[in-house]
Amino acid sequence: MRERSATLAAAESLARQGAIGAAVAACYEALAIDHRDPLVRALLAHLMLEGDFYDEAITEATAAIELDPDCSPAYLALGLAYDRRGGMSDQSVLVWHELAEVEEDLVTAHVQLGEAFAAAAFQDEALDSWKRALELDPKEARATYNLAIASLKREGMALALPLFRKAGELDPSQDELFFVLLGVRDRPAEPVDPAAVEPNREARLAAAALALRDEDLFTAAELVRLTLDEVADDPQALALAAYVYLKQEATNEAMACALRALSIEPTLDTALYSLGVVYARRTGLNRHAARVFIALAKQAGGQALVHVLLAESLLGLQRYQQAGRAYRLAVRLDPACVRARFGLAAAYLTEGRYAEAQWEIRRAAYYDTKRQGLFWRLYDRYTSGGDV
Amino acid sequence: MPEDLPAPATAADAREGVAPRRVTQFPVGVDYYPIDAERASYSEWYDTDVAADFAAMAAARISLVRVFVSWKVLEPQVGQYDDAVADRLDAVMEAARAHDMRTIVCFFADDRMAEMNDVTWARKRDPRTDDYLLEREISLVQRVVNHFRTEPAIWAWEIGNEAFFAGFASEDALHAWALAMRDAIREVDTARVIVFGAGAETLVRESGLDVRPTRDVFEYGVSRVTAPYRAYAAEGPLTYGPATYVDSFVLRAGGVAHQVLADGIGVHTLDVSVAEEAAYTRTAMYSALMNRASGVMLRRWRDVETERREPYYQDPFEVLVGVNDVTGRAKPVLAEVSRFARVAAHIDLRRYTPVPERAGILVPAERYEPLPSLAGLYDPRSCLQAYIAAKEAHLPVRLVSEGEDLDGLMALFVPSAAKLTMAMWTSLAAFVQSGGSVVLSYGGGDADPAVRELFGVEFLGDHGVRPVVSCRIAQPGLVGDLTSFDVRLDVPHYALLGSGGATVVATDATGSPLLTAHQYGQGRAIFLAAPLERAIAQSDPWAAPDAIRDLLRTVYGSVARAAGAGPIIDCDEPAAEVALFQGESADIVVVLSHSPVPTTATLTAERVVASVTDVRGGAAADVGSKAFGVPLEPNGAVALRLTYA
Amino acid sequence: MAADEAASLYQAFVDQDPASAIQVVERARASGIAQDALFDTLYAPAMALLGGAWASGAIDEIAFTQAAVVAEQVGSFVMPSAARRDTGVTVIVGTMHRDHHSIGHTIVAATLKEAGFRVNDLGVDVRPSDFLERVEETGARIVIVFAEMMQTARAALRVREMLLASGREDVVILVGGGPFSADTALAREVGANGVIPGAESAVKLVSRVAADLVAREAGEG
Repeated sequence: MRERSATLAAAESLARQGAIGAAVAACYEALAIDHRDPLVRALLAHLMLEGDFYDEAITEATAAIELDPDCSPAYLALGLAYDRRGGMSDQSVLVWHELAEVEEDLVTAHVQLGEAFAAAAFQDEALDSWKRALELDPKEARATYNLAIASLKREGMALALPLFRKAGELDPSQDELFFVLLGVRDRPAEPVDPAAVEPNREARLAAAALALRDEDLFTAAELVRLTLDEVADDPQALALAAYVYLKQEATNEAMACALRALSIEPTLDTALYSLGVVYARRTGLNRHAARVFIALAKQAGGQALVHVLLAESLLGLQRYQQAGRAYRLAVRLDPACVRARFGLAAAYLTEGRYAEAQWEIRRAAYYDTKRQGLFWRLYDRYTSGGDV
Repeated sequence: MPEDLPAPATAADAREGVAPRRVTQFPVGVDYYPIDAERASYSEWYDTDVAADFAAMAAARISLVRVFVSWKVLEPQVGQYDDAVADRLDAVMEAARAHDMRTIVCFFADDRMAEMNDVTWARKRDPRTDDYLLEREISLVQRVVNHFRTEPAIWAWEIGNEAFFAGFASEDALHAWALAMRDAIREVDTARVIVFGAGAETLVRESGLDVRPTRDVFEYGVSRVTAPYRAYAAEGPLTYGPATYVDSFVLRAGGVAHQVLADGIGVHTLDVSVAEEAAYTRTAMYSALMNRASGVMLRRWRDVETERREPYYQDPFEVLVGVNDVTGRAKPVLAEVSRFARVAAHIDLRRYTPVPERAGILVPAERYEPLPSLAGLYDPRSCLQAYIAAKEAHLPVRLVSEGEDLDGLMALFVPSAAKLTMAMWTSLAAFVQSGGSVVLSYGGGDADPAVRELFGVEFLGDHGVRPVVSCRIAQPGLVGDLTSFDVRLDVPHYALLGSGGATVVATDATGSPLLTAHQYGQGRAIFLAAPLERAIAQSDPWAAPDAIRDLLRTVYGSVARAAGAGPIIDCDEPAAEVALFQGESADIVVVLSHSPVPTTATLTAERVVASVTDVRGGAAADVGSKAFGVPLEPNGAVALRLTYA
Repeated sequence: MAADEAASLYQAFVDQDPASAIQVVERARASGIAQDALFDTLYAPAMALLGGAWASGAIDEIAFTQAAVVAEQVGSFVMPSAARRDTGVTVIVGTMHRDHHSIGHTIVAATLKEAGFRVNDLGVDVRPSDFLERVEETGARIVIVFAEMMQTARAALRVREMLLASGREDVVILVGGGPFSADTALAREVGANGVIPGAESAVKLVSRVAADLVAREAGEG
């Protein structure tokens, strides 16, 4: 366990709250007490990176590593700073390699190492890194997106597209879209008890939606069934049923329920979503998927992922420029949408715009690592002497 | 070849602080580096077919060439100058003379390959501060200047570059060195221009040194987007977004009382395609012309012959990419340069003058604060975003340093500053009182007490970080044509405002004011409750939400127009930058697209336009109305001569 | 008519009778419904009926699942035709000699293949003589030359010169890569007939060129 001064503790606390300015000031106070504390330098590096001040981040992270070559959070900050700054893949490869050795189970280090290799045009090494990341975590979406891009570069779009879709399904953002359409943002505080639900349509459907949010498919199905037993032509209930089947990989049942729902209410967004996802899983139905997602975009055009789903269908139809426009719209709606960034990179690659493609991949990495809060994981492990 | 080059100021002018005569010409120049291959040795300094290169430059309409003096090869031993090597510089001048071209001779520029300043006998003493080395430097400079005292091919002397100046530990030391060099040159040559070889904006970023006072004692300055500055301010795609504005932004940061060459134009890395390189360079050159540069200088004549790279490899250095390939054959970018030089030569800046900028963006003094203050890191980015918003609103706009005179301005934008000095608040109040308009966005922290009176709002506190920006219009049409929206964008602060006399123009989703307008004296003070410029800069400025950019553009545009700081020729396409040069019987309008897709900009003049002609010649197109369409290629530019009915 | 067939298809699903389901599809085809329209006119309505039957309780959960299995089996009969029709047009694609940039030509080649062109992908670092050799071997009339560097882009002229020297002036050369996108005059200088800015436009341009060639031949004939 490392000893930390009260000033550093205060800086940490401020940094965790996102109060960057105050945290930086506190770090400088901590440096005035001990200018050789690698933790302060690492924390400063992280704070500089939060503001995209790459050169400052590189200076501080390098200082931290010089003070303690085992300071893993500093490696993370340094690697990210190199990658985000661009044009420094040589240095970046070394840093990620080092971090992957120090923190063997850190999946992101392998993903980043792969991206650094790819930026330096070492494709085989890049592929090895991403495969290693997937060995550690088969659900690592970004490694799969990268494999899709690599496949596009080597084999073309037809083989890359299934990988993009696979990565997309690993990406939690797709389910999020369904719940946004449903109007359910948060998980329920307690599991839904079907017996306690009021015996009317609204209560049952609301409870079913909450149960789905909680991944309790059984309860959701039960509540949907009760609703349909009263009114068989309830489109909302059918749309929920479609999603339940979709989550169980029963795509034909999902299609049947979604189509039935849409035959009653042709613009029902939740039903359009499930039908589009079912169609998108079948290579022959890209045109159908595109049609459904265009309809969904009319209903929920403010949702980035709708445009991503549409764009993926357009890629399957070789309408790359139109797909690029849909992806760009998605990125504008949600700059943190990793899936849109990778898709846009793919669209750029089909037009020979390599530098822009590379930029989108870098931005995807930026948002993906930011979302994960990796720095604090490594920081806490480092401060506790590796026990966390 | 242009008829005349920038007129040299006299030594007397410089001493007495007389502004030198404004350039009447717009030279297109290039840096001519002494070594073009990674494997070459420093001793091969200009040991190449110089005459052929100058012939090619002349053919490409390049009229100004920067050449670099190598201390290391000229003075291999203390006090012993190598005349054989010096002859190479004579050959350079002869080549320039042969084509009636002019040169800038640069002393003490750090270069990553030719090691020009690494005199072996210096024994690790610092050439910036060591007294003995300083003596040797003065000797070298005076020897070279004296040798070329009557050389007509030399237009200017130049000292240093960013890489060299960044090595100074203090502003005072830098100032002393620069003045010593200037005086050394002046002792021998009283006539020619002396250029300070680094931009203040880039240098403060790279070294923390504020060299504005030093720069201001020189007749000429440069503005140059260095690789570290690009990485800081506009690291991303080159053909749209902030990258296409950053060259003119640093140019505008060079100040108004100063002649500035838009320098170092070109791309930094080899991973961009030659198509992007050509498009970007075109954008940078035109935006220099449109933003009062005295001329443009391209980054490099020839690509450096590097060690074999992997395909698609990104190169970190900034001196690698030229306008010709390694074999010396022209790249598409050189054709762009020639076309631009032809256009520039057709705009006689003695007859056509740019319209005065009545709108300004305030660069706060806090920008020069070192860490741990983050203002030095945040503010330039915020100012760049404000500059882009003003450009997208088609305002003739300049940058104003805090403390600078606001005379001549009618609208001032203060983007996301954390704090201003007391003097600035007083100055702002006087500015608005006398009829100016101010748009200020809250930059975090406690609001200054002056906010209450000037903006008519009661500051209740900072609500802190918000992940979504919501806008609901309370007073449609009061500050432009705004629309309601909710978009995802992290804003670091949000000022909670109480009523203090201002009109609430827009609020967030729950009614907390987002935009207020307050009549104060003869002018208007507009308050934005969130640092939107900073929020755009700190997210992904290439993918900033349209609604936020529209809001800023609309607010800036509407406030400036109402204050009399609007454009004389308006435009409906935000991505088209428009600059008007007014003449007696006709005007020239230059339109530049910052978009990578084709677009058509509709320009609207205040008078009926009779005809439009490309400045390079050709048939006049009859217009007969105030508005006319200008089709623009991706990143395209046109310069048109307008006659009025 | 289509509605009746959809009902029959639905019934076959519920009866767990794939043979009948296939017969329904074949009947529909015989009645003139195009393959690309089968999914929308027949299959989707049948699936909606199936969903409705489950919702109303006309069939139970187990029957629903079993019907879905049959629907899966029949799915391939109603899918729009997966592969594009073979255009019969051969296209030779490669990146110039001394140029190892592969991404552009790979993506374009794959896109053209998918669009039904007979693509001969020669890879990277292709000598002008290799292009000629493959033209002579296949009788191809369309060659796409990629280059990402200025020197290699200029060297594309050698491909045209070799083709001319061998009397193959009828071959259409299209060029792709950054240098050509930057300067279309460069494409003319190297004797190219057109520039390919990206994969999607490649399909359009090659289709147009192929149609022109056919029209020209018809005119000559």
